[in-house]
Amino acid sequence: MSAIPHDHAADHHDDHGYHPTGIMRWLTTTNHKDIGTLYLLFSLTMFFVGGCMALTIRAELFQPGMQIVHPEFFNSLTTLHGLIMIFGAIMPAAVGFANWQVPLMIGAPDMAFARMNNWSFWLLPPAAIMLVGSFFVPGGAAAGGWTLYPPLSVQAGMGMDLTIFAIHIMGASSIMGSINIITTILNMRAPGMTMMKMPLFVWTWLITAYLLIAVMPVLAGSVTMLLTDRHFGTSFFNAAGGGDPVLFQHVFWFFGHPEVYIMILPSFGIVSQIIPTFARKPLFGYASMVYAVASIAILSFIVWAHHMFTVGMPAAGLLFFMYATMLIAVPTGVKVFNWLATMWRGSMTFETPMLFSVGFLFLFTMGGFTGLVLALTPIDIQLQDTYYVVAHFHYVLVAGSLFAFFGGAYYWLPKWTGTMYNEKLGQWHFWCSMIFFNITFFPMHFLGVAGMPRRIPDYAQQFTDWNMVATVGAFGFGLSQLIFVVALIKCIRGDGAKAPAKPWEGADTLEWTVPSPAPHHTFETPPHVA
Amino acid sequence: MAADLSGKPVDAARLRRANLRTALAVGAIAVLFFVGVIAAQFVGNTATGMSVVGAAVLLFLAFAIGRNLRK
Repeated sequence: MSAIPHDHAADHHDDHGYHPTGIMRWLTTTNHKDIGTLYLLFSLTMFFVGGCMALTIRAELFQPGMQIVHPEFFNSLTTLHGLIMIFGAIMPAAVGFANWQVPLMIGAPDMAFARMNNWSFWLLPPAAIMLVGSFFVPGGAAAGGWTLYPPLSVQAGMGMDLTIFAIHIMGASSIMGSINIITTILNMRAPGMTMMKMPLFVWTWLITAYLLIAVMPVLAGSVTMLLTDRHFGTSFFNAAGGGDPVLFQHVFWFFGHPEVYIMILPSFGIVSQIIPTFARKPLFGYASMVYAVASIAILSFIVWAHHMFTVGMPAAGLLFFMYATMLIAVPTGVKVFNWLATMWRGSMTFETPMLFSVGFLFLFTMGGFTGLVLALTPIDIQLQDTYYVVAHFHYVLVAGSLFAFFGGAYYWLPKWTGTMYNEKLGQWHFWCSMIFFNITFFPMHFLGVAGMPRRIPDYAQQFTDWNMVATVGAFGFGLSQLIFVVALIKCIRGDGAKAPAKPWEGADTLEWTVPSPAPHHTFETPPHVA
Repeated sequence: MAADLSGKPVDAARLRRANLRTALAVGAIAVLFFVGVIAAQFVGNTATGMSVVGAAVLLFLAFAIGRNLRK
């Protein structure tokens, strides 16, 4: 690791300009660090809102029969849980990390369009209020699943309109955020930082931003057509008027599958920063990691129909999408291999960020393998819409995205708050999450293989035992996240050891050259990267 | 990553122009895809129209990522 001189000048960057205080500071801020914090806190809030919905779902499924909620409300819960976790929790968390870290990692003073950055964030709370508020309108919230398939979505009540508007607003926010990130990375890198010298987190976010630019308009277009089908007499997806409901599925999954990679690529970036730090070795195969991320992004556009093997496709289509899906395992395998090779014979320690990264690696690989199982058309036809699919995507998105975000939060909390997190709480958080996550979602593989369908509030008695186990695990997992909240509050309040500029011996990127907590303004004069 | 933290200040006006150019190009592509998905429903065979939009999206991605990989 090269020695990095400490930027004493940065200590004095806070002394100019007018800084509003209180609520006005957060409403009007154009500072990337403040906006990053807003995104992360919003995401955490939505994570708990979506989590409460998940726990209600699991409580209902604790035993067969109807116990707690009506079937219609159960359907709304599964729909909104998916939408809130994807658009309200995971995506904003990734943007929060990008806002905090991208300018710091490339030596830029802020994002390229600071006011648009503020606007991108403040679009989110109204959208979230619309989504959650849709429970209280006549007919209740959208209940046709997060995929909003017609004809259910065409026939649903006012809650669906609110959902469509919320998706439009969140899509606009994502596109504005992506434009900002692309512009910042392409134009505002410190002199000497060529593309192939950028930290991998920045690379993964650049590619994620391109993915968002490519697919969010597609989603916006499809839900706009849904809206006109509902209210303006068009028949894009309405079979009664000559439309084609399957067309919606194609368009939706053309957005939907790249969306999975939008959620996972920033996590790859975070893990690629953490593992070399705690293995005290440079990342193995940097260039191949960049090429693998690019390959994953491009391949993600030619696999969408594996989500709809059962709609009735020609055999050639089935074969194409099956093989294309299996092909994604190659660049993903390259990444997993490189992370393992980085750890190989490294001088490793297992602080909380590293634990979450290793947990990510183990569980994401399991989720990837079940993805390969589902890629096989004959098997997918059996497992379509069963709990096996639920288990698969929770291994990818909870143990994948979420674990990496927790790892990233513990890794950068000292830089963000100036206080070291409580290691004991972090370790408790990791182990409880790891154990309860597996208790919740591993049995779902058995339930799926046994034939339990997803999105049902009641089930046959033979599924009872594993559902009970999963419910106990879910409540354990939910409660485990309170440990994170305690650790976070302690950090924010400064209850802990003061963090040095570079708390991690093996860390090697530009953000560690500024003091902890990072001053309000950093890199006003760009550094020169050798 | 070795870094000299006493670099030269940037030309703000030039940077602003460059940022605006990049943002307009990327934003225009997003608008084009949004309009394209809907317009494809009205132009001849829907499957062909959607295929053209899909191919355009894929080409954009391959070009945008590919041109950065060379640097």
